[in-house]
Amino acid sequence: MSLRRVALLGGVYSNWLALEATLADARRRGAEAVYCLGDLGGFGPHPNRVFPLLREHGVACIQGNYDVSVARGAEDCGCGYSDPRDNYFARISYEYTVRNTSTENRRWLGSLPPLARVTLGEHRLLLCHGSPRQINEFLWETTTPTGLLEKFCRETASDALCVTHTGLTWHRALPSGRHAVNVGAVGRPGNDGTPRVWYTLLSATPDLTVEFVPVHYDHESVARDMEREGLPAEFVETIRTGWWRCCLESLPVKERARGRY
Amino acid sequence: MRCGACFTLMEEATVPHVTLRELRAVWFQVTGTLCNLSCRHCFNASGPKEPWLAALDAGLVRRYLAEADGLGVREIYFTGGEPFLHRELLALLRDALAVAPTTVLTNGTLIDDAMADRLAALAAESAYSLEIRISVDAATAADNDAVRGQGSFARAIGAARRLAARELWPIVTATEIAGTSDGRPLYDRLHEMLLEAGVGRPRIKILPVLPLGRCADGGASRLLSAAALEGFDDTRLPCATTRVVADGGVYACPILAGLPSARLGEGPLAGALGPAPLSHPACVTCWATGLTCGNT
Repeated sequence: MSLRRVALLGGVYSNWLALEATLADARRRGAEAVYCLGDLGGFGPHPNRVFPLLREHGVACIQGNYDVSVARGAEDCGCGYSDPRDNYFARISYEYTVRNTSTENRRWLGSLPPLARVTLGEHRLLLCHGSPRQINEFLWETTTPTGLLEKFCRETASDALCVTHTGLTWHRALPSGRHAVNVGAVGRPGNDGTPRVWYTLLSATPDLTVEFVPVHYDHESVARDMEREGLPAEFVETIRTGWWRCCLESLPVKERARGRY
Repeated sequence: MRCGACFTLMEEATVPHVTLRELRAVWFQVTGTLCNLSCRHCFNASGPKEPWLAALDAGLVRRYLAEADGLGVREIYFTGGEPFLHRELLALLRDALAVAPTTVLTNGTLIDDAMADRLAALAAESAYSLEIRISVDAATAADNDAVRGQGSFARAIGAARRLAARELWPIVTATEIAGTSDGRPLYDRLHEMLLEAGVGRPRIKILPVLPLGRCADGGASRLLSAAALEGFDDTRLPCATTRVVADGGVYACPILAGLPSARLGEGPLAGALGPAPLSHPACVTCWATGLTCGNT
């Protein structure tokens, strides 16, 4: 039987409580399968806690840049930041995550595929972390041209391109009838001043419909755990307030204007 | 002044080349080398007198924009010279923003309140981001103006303040040509200065000084060899993802625009997507420093 409704999530960032709430919500809304587009660790506390949840719920995962780096024990997270302030916080996050991820989980991260193809009704979905050509390419809504998205879909024989990496949701119906979707992140709020996080439901009705779903979870527990683990106050404030406090310099000016900082 | 005429080329047979990975960025050297400043480190020796590269005709820019769209370009950049000296710049920005996110590299001296209003209106009506990069070279007027000319600092920071007030926070771009007076990183000093000047959310990009234009030294000993590129990921070089439209044709990278050795074609972009020769001392800078001309 072909799939009619799937949930896509990205950027778990060790936020196991947000992941748990998201998976429950997706099940409640009738998702027949759940896919994670990578970056399981980083930013949040206790990285090992997300792995049992993903396995228990049968979530199909692909690699994000973080997963590649953690699996290899690479020098940095490979997030693609160029600003020294962004890299300062990225280093703290990465070193904490590598230090606290078990060997078994690191090995599992290394075994994940870099992309996935899913058929939803008659729609061919391509799932990747950054872009089809680069795992850490930032596909922001205001810096990703329609012509480029059409090219990606054409070259990968896809009807819908689904990505994450930036952590902010957007959807564009392309002139050709194809779609491009950034599924958002469940590990960090959407820089909108609320602590909720976002995932995406795709349905074949039979046309492709895209729904961004907000999820409320016990963010205060996660924030307190982050404090106990000695993670930066900027990370904790982001979880509590929903406004990004760090790694902001990669944002284009329009996305930057939507946040408080 | 003919820029870059003094450097020594390697023998053709020994010049390493970089294959274009994909066309991500297209630059337009829209005013050629016409500028209202004469910065002492300018890598293409721009200035107000006798520009050695001519401005681009607006119709030509539009033809290349249409072609870039079809090729799946990711970003458009306008540079010079000083782009705001081009009479049709705002119309060209509107056309570029219909294709892709667009950035203007400027010294900021021509952005008064009226121009800031027009830019903010353009940005608001576009689905894609319009980025303004303003060049300064130090965190104080005295140090900056010694490089860029009397009064340039106050005018540049004034422009930054006007744009920030319209939520069009500029990316302040600087080189370390002016040196440091207190040993603190230039990035930190610029950050502090911008906040004090009322430019919130400071966005800063630091660039190396390039051995070109008024800083050319002709150093043939510093040309890249094939051996230097062994094991090096040459896709990190701007010429692996970028082409530049300037007077005379299409070139391999923004800093070499106008130099015959860097010209890859005289017609459409499609005819200039072949390998780029790393035949200039400036290529060493990108290789050694990881310089990227883009915003990030």
